[in-house]
Amino acid sequence: MQQVQDLVTLVPWTFVAMICNLFIQVYLIKRFLFKPVNAMLEKRKAMADAQIQDAVKAKDEAQAMKAEYEQNMAEAKNKASEILTTAQKTASVQSEEILKDAARQAAAMKAKAEKDIAQEKRKAVNEIKDEIGGMAVDIAGKVIEREISEEDHKKLIDEFIANVGEAS
Amino acid sequence: MEVSITGAKIFYTFPIDFPILGKFQITETLVVSWLVMLIITGLCIWLTRDLKVENISKRQAVAEMLVEMANKFVIGNMGEKFRKMIPFVAALFATSLVSNLISLTGLRSPTADLSVEAAWAVVVFIMITAEKIKAGGVGGYLKGFTQPIPVLTPFNILSELATPISMACRHFGNILSGIVINSLIYAALALASSALFGLLPGLVGDILAQIPFLSVGIPAILSFYFDWFTGFMQAFIFCMLTTMYIANASEG
Repeated sequence: MQQVQDLVTLVPWTFVAMICNLFIQVYLIKRFLFKPVNAMLEKRKAMADAQIQDAVKAKDEAQAMKAEYEQNMAEAKNKASEILTTAQKTASVQSEEILKDAARQAAAMKAKAEKDIAQEKRKAVNEIKDEIGGMAVDIAGKVIEREISEEDHKKLIDEFIANVGEAS
Repeated sequence: MEVSITGAKIFYTFPIDFPILGKFQITETLVVSWLVMLIITGLCIWLTRDLKVENISKRQAVAEMLVEMANKFVIGNMGEKFRKMIPFVAALFATSLVSNLISLTGLRSPTADLSVEAAWAVVVFIMITAEKIKAGGVGGYLKGFTQPIPVLTPFNILSELATPISMACRHFGNILSGIVINSLIYAALALASSALFGLLPGLVGDILAQIPFLSVGIPAILSFYFDWFTGFMQAFIFCMLTTMYIANASEG
């Protein structure tokens, strides 16, 4: 006949053994379930954190690059407008100079032409004067049929022409 | 026909008689509880084999889910400062649950022995008391019994002692009632099928009457309630009460 316990009873040894069993089970479950899983979860968390940090760093870098790019762009724009202004200024200065030059040249040319004209005129007057002198002497000789002294003659004529020249 | 429901079988009794503890006996309860420990530990080792950080297997997902559930349960009920209690509560729950469910294999549940629940309840009781003393000091703990008026001291002591007793008896009673009802049902169905097939004439009826045909099917439905549902519920309730009592104790 198999020995059995009472249906409802407290067996001291079983009681003690079950307390021991419970704590052994606590250790085993801690050692074989919680420790490895928690270690793995910790590792995963660390990895996720690292990835987030990387992403933040990359974002910062990108923003820095963007700022630098924008600054460069602004600088380039400024430079371009500066160059444009300088070019415009230079161009206007040059054009003014060119105009001035042209005006100066024109004035010089005009002056030279006037000088030439005046010279030509004087030359022509002298020629005419001589011719008219000659003609007058001839005409006078013929009119009075006598020779007046050449010297008196010349004097008279010169006076006359001088008077004519002043009058003209 | 006779139906007898007995306690756990005793396999071997050591002849040495210890004072107070009596003779050490290897009982069915002890053997099955060792088996339960083996199952739980083996399951833990199997679940946590080659853990990976990413691209996890289903097995690992289950292990993580169990750990997360234990964390959430304990921290949700007791607060962050009881983090070190997680393995204890998890061990309590796992042992209780596997012990309850092992009756499905035909073995006798260790939880069908009051000594087991009593042991757990006493451990919990000691923890509750330790938390109370930690929170209020020995003086505060003793003074707590005379609140709100000194006349109530005996009742306070009674209610304090009722905590572990009720915890142990609640769990034990539920499992035991399942065993009792299952035994009765099996006996009754065997009787019924023998009566039913005994109606057949001649030798055929005599032979068929020996086989409890009706025992197939109906007990499975009852087993769903008494083994599965009660097994889960009692394990859960025991752990819930453990966490609640300890958390309350620490609040003074």
